[in-house]
Amino acid sequence: MTHKLNQGDHVLHVDTLARVEGEGGMHVVVKDGLVADVELRIFEPPRFFEAFLRGRAWTEPPDITARICGICPVAYQMSSCLAIEDACGVTVPEEIRLLRRLLYCGEWIESHALHIHLLHAPDFLGYAGAIEMAADHGAIVERGLLLKKTGNALMTLVGGRAIHPVNVRVGGFYRLPTVEELHSIRPALDQARDDAVATVALVGGLEFPDMVQPQEYVALRSPHGYPLESGSVVTSSGRAFEVADFGANVVEEHVARSNALHAHLDGTTPYVVGPLARYALNHDQLGPLAKQAAHDAGLGDECRNPFQSIVVRAVELVHAIDEAARIIDAWDGASAPFVDVPPRAGVGYGATEAPRGLLYHRYELAEDGTILDATIVPPTSQNQPSIEADLRAFVQDRLDLPHEELVRQCEQAIRNYDPCISCATHFLDLTVEEQ
Amino acid sequence: MQVLVIGLGNPDRGDDAVGVEVARQVAAERLDVTVLEFDDPSEAIDAWEPDDSVVVADAVSSGGHPGDIHVVDAIAHKLPTGRWSAGGTHALGLAAAVEIARALGRLPRSLVVVGVEAKHFGHGTPMADAVAAAVPAAVEAVLTALDDADALFTALDDADVVDAAIDDLGGEP
Repeated sequence: MTHKLNQGDHVLHVDTLARVEGEGGMHVVVKDGLVADVELRIFEPPRFFEAFLRGRAWTEPPDITARICGICPVAYQMSSCLAIEDACGVTVPEEIRLLRRLLYCGEWIESHALHIHLLHAPDFLGYAGAIEMAADHGAIVERGLLLKKTGNALMTLVGGRAIHPVNVRVGGFYRLPTVEELHSIRPALDQARDDAVATVALVGGLEFPDMVQPQEYVALRSPHGYPLESGSVVTSSGRAFEVADFGANVVEEHVARSNALHAHLDGTTPYVVGPLARYALNHDQLGPLAKQAAHDAGLGDECRNPFQSIVVRAVELVHAIDEAARIIDAWDGASAPFVDVPPRAGVGYGATEAPRGLLYHRYELAEDGTILDATIVPPTSQNQPSIEADLRAFVQDRLDLPHEELVRQCEQAIRNYDPCISCATHFLDLTVEEQ
Repeated sequence: MQVLVIGLGNPDRGDDAVGVEVARQVAAERLDVTVLEFDDPSEAIDAWEPDDSVVVADAVSSGGHPGDIHVVDAIAHKLPTGRWSAGGTHALGLAAAVEIARALGRLPRSLVVVGVEAKHFGHGTPMADAVAAAVPAAVEAVLTALDDADALFTALDDADVVDAAIDDLGGEP
């Protein structure tokens, strides 16, 4: 189909979206030259993690929920540990928090490196995917793979292994890495830092479709720096609330087209979590190198063009590498790998910043630590209403494009969010319908 | 040069466990072989060196019957990048990882993929009976691929030795 869509009725449909985590699709209906409906469809059957956590022990969520996603297992481990420790009234020592932050840096490096270089860059450089891009831009792909490898190595060092780390437990870690082990990764981090700065320069020079996102931005803000492993919630309209009040401020609803729940602020307002939100609300907390890279790439105090999320993601990559090096350089060991977290009856809340955005967990425990209830709100289900809002605005302004090009750009717009449908439930697939 | 067997998959996601299960059984039979497990195929690219001999076992999804075994010489043939190896739940599947390695000139000297047709990838579910029943045959396919690579490279290495000897003699056989 090569005719244009600004006359008559049309449907854009992508059955299975490529280069996203998990499986899903997009369906856009155009009637009389106006976008009538946009649906992001998520097919994978609902995941029953929340249900099968019930009846399990309070010590189990870090291992069970890490299995929700192979790309961001650390996020699940960190949010679940915080929530369980909150329910039990325990705060971990500073050195445990730092080691968690270090592990989390590994996940950010791994996840951001993959998305920037192998999943999103092909859209901007005009390739169908990383394989086609590798033939002409081998150095970019090599750099992405090397950065990803360094992130994996850091996760393996602190977490025991890269995909579903086994060293994390409620209260801390099973085993502490030695100072020597941590220092062994410093040369790779130095190389990664140089590479990431080069990547910011590269993606900062890409051409971006014009778009300004009006949505509210939501992220954690922490006294411990750019938000990863801790913080309370802040928004671009000036709201601020504790993680414990997340449930009172965010409403999840089921929609027929998707197996993922849609999240809204106060039940009505779509909002955005992830790199753009974190940057807008925390750019003052970036390290000097990341700040400089952001400045050189032309980013101001806020970036509201979702297509430029690739630049912000690269700036966060620089920050995560720099932060990991800083933590390692200052590390002189911890007194114990973990603190005891004796169970008690109560409710606990935890939120951390997964690579894709804020990840919230809530657990209700019985006196003996048995989990009575669990709630998990992943970043992609929070972003889903915003992805649809972006597509609606984006398609309306581009109905004069040929069908294939419009579909391609829509997929690119969806990838702005690095959607992890594996987490939201799973999977994406795009249709624009002709009526 | 080393001989590597790589099992790909997530042991906790139904039929996706099959690659890892095959690799574990190969590890029990062949102590001379290095066996690795990943559930991120892009890590496999980093695991091998250019002169390695590699066999990868993975769940594949090509529309066949669960338990069907596919053996592909990935040096001679491109891997289909569609839903093949959709057992991986991530954006970069085995086929994409191998084809990126090919584009970058980072393939090992031999690479055979032993794929077991899979269908169900439910969280926390066991492998389907038909897929579990295919494990012994898949292990056999991996061992055969190892033997074939071994024979091929012994011949190539012998040829190299002969060539070197010829060179030492001033190029006269």
